Amino acid sequence: QMILAVDLFYDVLIDDEWIYVKETITTHRCVSRKMMERRAPLPPQHYSTLISELESLGWDKLLSIDTQFSTLKLRANDRSGRLHVLTVHLKPKYPTEAPECSADLPVPLIITWTPQSILASIYNQFLALLESLEEFWAVLDEIDERTWVLEPEKPTRGETARRIAIGNNVSMKLNVDPQHPRMLPECLLLGAEHLVTPLRNKLNANMHLWNPESSVLQNMKEVLEIEFPSPTTHEKSSFLAECGICYSYRLESAIPDQVCNDPRCGQPFHQECLYEWLRGLPSSRQSFSMVFGECPYCSKVCYTLQAHARALLGAPL
Amino acid sequence: MQRNSRLKRELQLLSTEPPPGVSCWQSDDNTGELKAQIVGGVDTPYEGGVFTLEITIPERYPFEPPKIRFLTPIYHPNIDNGGRICLDALKLPPKGAWRPSLNISTVLSSIQLLMAEPNPDDPLMADISSEYKYNRHVFLEKAKRWTEKHAMQQTKEMGEMDTENKRTKSAVLSHKREALSSEVQNSKKTCF
Repeated sequence: QMILAVDLFYDVLIDDEWIYVKETITTHRCVSRKMMERRAPLPPQHYSTLISELESLGWDKLLSIDTQFSTLKLRANDRSGRLHVLTVHLKPKYPTEAPECSADLPVPLIITWTPQSILASIYNQFLALLESLEEFWAVLDEIDERTWVLEPEKPTRGETARRIAIGNNVSMKLNVDPQHPRMLPECLLLGAEHLVTPLRNKLNANMHLWNPESSVLQNMKEVLEIEFPSPTTHEKSSFLAECGICYSYRLESAIPDQVCNDPRCGQPFHQECLYEWLRGLPSSRQSFSMVFGECPYCSKVCYTLQAHARALLGAPL
Repeated sequence: MQRNSRLKRELQLLSTEPPPGVSCWQSDDNTGELKAQIVGGVDTPYEGGVFTLEITIPERYPFEPPKIRFLTPIYHPNIDNGGRICLDALKLPPKGAWRPSLNISTVLSSIQLLMAEPNPDDPLMADISSEYKYNRHVFLEKAKRWTEKHAMQQTKEMGEMDTENKRTKSAVLSHKREALSSEVQNSKKTCF
């Protein structure tokens, strides 16, 4: 029965010349023979329904399908041409039972499903959601193109936060609200106190100048009265100083965000490296989760958060 | 974790920008065993000599200092006949002054400086130290003789030596060192 259904599927595809899907199906034929005893086959209608639904949706939307014919990946391009992938997992009682859908989005994907719904209705709801996020992605794309994003290393479409470089070991973490992408985002300024304080003061003083008509990056420049280093003006290495202890920039995924507070020193360290060094020193002292000790470079007192305390508090990004 | 990234960067820097009069390289691939050479400073009794050192990078490096030892015998108040060096940068606080801001390159430069400026108030070799303090010309004479005997590269010998034989040379050096242990008597260790 199952082989029959697969053959039917296969015949439909012969005309279509979709090599990848054909290959998947060929693999499936081999696999299914072995699996037959173990897995109860779905009724043939399942496959015929699926085929006609895919046909009406358009074969070009199908990126891949698994060998059980239950998980489909559908492609969708938004208005600006960004590619998005919608994963649809069909339940055994499809279409009575709603399929499970997921995608790389900053907001939850909520699909309305009735037993009369078809794949195309999910797809259209997905397109509408993409449309509503258009502005959010435009804001983040501008940041990604025009600034040096330190974290996340490779932002996904669902990430709302960016940590962007301002200068040598001074950075700003922005969290853009997907519902209101042009409003003043949640900001965190990171770096040595003497460098960050003036920026924080500017931010507080000029916040009222925020203009929701222009982009987040443009507003940030005006509010902070700075230019962000960008891939066109700066080499990434020019402000990504390595850790003074392990001599690297990335340790696992961490970056050297602990900076000696003495303005003349300003040496960056990974929190883990600095903690590891300070905890072994008899001259260091600990107060709650903070460890105070001498900076290995300038001998002035500097401090770091204890490793496990940081994990509990949730490391920034 | 920190050790490997550090070591990689340091070796890179040591090969491209070595400190003056110092060379350092990895003796075997992918290990923390290094070799270094320090050229004896001008106007010191070590002038004309090339001193070979052995460096072991501990697991916890850079939170712990590198372990450094002279392979070439040297007559010096702060270096014993096992080649061990009395230098605060090579020890952890509170006794020593090692910190991760130092590295192989700066430590080798400190050793070079120590060769030029012994520290007789913190001696490893009490006899050599008092000799250095109260009988400077005898000290200089002996140190020079040791340099000539152990640290001078004879051009003829060098020409004959191919890379394989260099390994034999360090074996010869440590053999020499053992033989020398008897030469220096009453060597009370006061450093540490």
